Amino acid sequence: MARDEQFKQEVLRLAGQEVLTCIQCGTCSASCPTARLMNPSIRRLIKLCLEGKKEEATHNETLWLCTSCLLCTVRCPRGIRPKAVVSALKDIAERAGLQGKDAAYEKFFLEQIKDYGRIAELALTAKFLLIFPQGAVQSMQMGLELLPRGKIGLEIERIKGRDEVKRIIEELWKE
Amino acid sequence: MKLAYYPGCVSQSTGKEMDTSTRAVSAALGIELVELPDWNCCGATHVSNELVATGLAARNMAQTDLPIMTACSICYSNLRAAAQRLEEPDTLEKVNAVLDKKYSGARVRHALDVILEALTEGDERIVVPLKGLLVAPYYGCLLTRPAGLYSPQFPTILEELIKRLQAEPVDFRLKTFCCGGPIFMPQEKAADDIAFKILTEAKKAGAEVIVTVCPLCHLMLDAKQKVLEQKHGEKIGIPVLYVTQLAGIALGLGQEELGLFMNSVSPMAMIERVYERMAEGI
Repeated sequence: MARDEQFKQEVLRLAGQEVLTCIQCGTCSASCPTARLMNPSIRRLIKLCLEGKKEEATHNETLWLCTSCLLCTVRCPRGIRPKAVVSALKDIAERAGLQGKDAAYEKFFLEQIKDYGRIAELALTAKFLLIFPQGAVQSMQMGLELLPRGKIGLEIERIKGRDEVKRIIEELWKE
Repeated sequence: MKLAYYPGCVSQSTGKEMDTSTRAVSAALGIELVELPDWNCCGATHVSNELVATGLAARNMAQTDLPIMTACSICYSNLRAAAQRLEEPDTLEKVNAVLDKKYSGARVRHALDVILEALTEGDERIVVPLKGLLVAPYYGCLLTRPAGLYSPQFPTILEELIKRLQAEPVDFRLKTFCCGGPIFMPQEKAADDIAFKILTEAKKAGAEVIVTVCPLCHLMLDAKQKVLEQKHGEKIGIPVLYVTQLAGIALGLGQEELGLFMNSVSPMAMIERVYERMAEGI
């Protein structure tokens, strides 16, 4: 497939020009807690971006296995932020309307912040389970642990500055 | 000392004991907390657009002139990362253009740092010294990342606090390894495997208790512990306390005040041992 230069530039804009200096040493992959499950690896993901391979770089499980732990970022000898590359790719994929359980989780999360200003875990979980019923067993197990201990918030809290929060999300998203 | 307190969303649900114990310990140490007015979610690890995440954090930071304290490492990391980005004039301008109250700098602190600062060596308020208690200092990721006050890979502040409470930190190899929490909903197996590894490693290191500084780490290691034991057919049975709960025990605070009944793995047997050792020592 031809190089998508525009895609490459978008990744660099979002994650930083230093991505260009990647030496493919693999420190990021070696540091990653979920590396063994990733295909492509985080190292390879960065190579795909530099090669302008949008499809491969944005449609993979790797993006959703990132735990945002930032170990890659504090260790990269070139000062690149591989986690920021992952975030940039998620952002690009989500803007392009990527479907899937993981993208949906992020979407619901942001929608809650937009609507209420805060996260209501119970409502978020319920909404997620509608599109990913396979998560029900885990959620039930967690519920059984948390409910008797009073650790499930049943009420949705709404902040006063909801309009401002909505504006922050909508306006800054466009930048 | 007066600080703005940012409880974070989990303080209302899965992290209630974090919030309760933070307030109790602060009061015991003479730290006045003023809840940050009308605070919003920091975006946790689920807002991929950095500018949006920065804006959400900036709105929180613009609500006060006081230094801001949080007990949640995720909130702490997000606020700090945003403050770093807001040092770029271009970012600051874009963000302030959409804020009601404008951002003009902030000091963000984690409860761990505030407590350590408030406690002197051999502090008389430590009425229940945790002598002989073997504690696994579990930092997780976000207290120390992005790089700030602490070494992002080899921090020691948690060990310092553990020692100040007169307990003993064990050598815990995975202390800054991720708990898997941020992906536990959509990527259950991947997250579970990591969390189980951390629990077994803490046990191997001889710890009687794991201490955490993040509600998501706590959820993975405490609330999920029983399920992880069942899945792997191996008993762990190690209590997991928030750092504020551990400090509160040493300060002689009550179980209710510290929310100790909210923990999934009961810390009561461990606390009894602390009292027994204290009695033997007298």
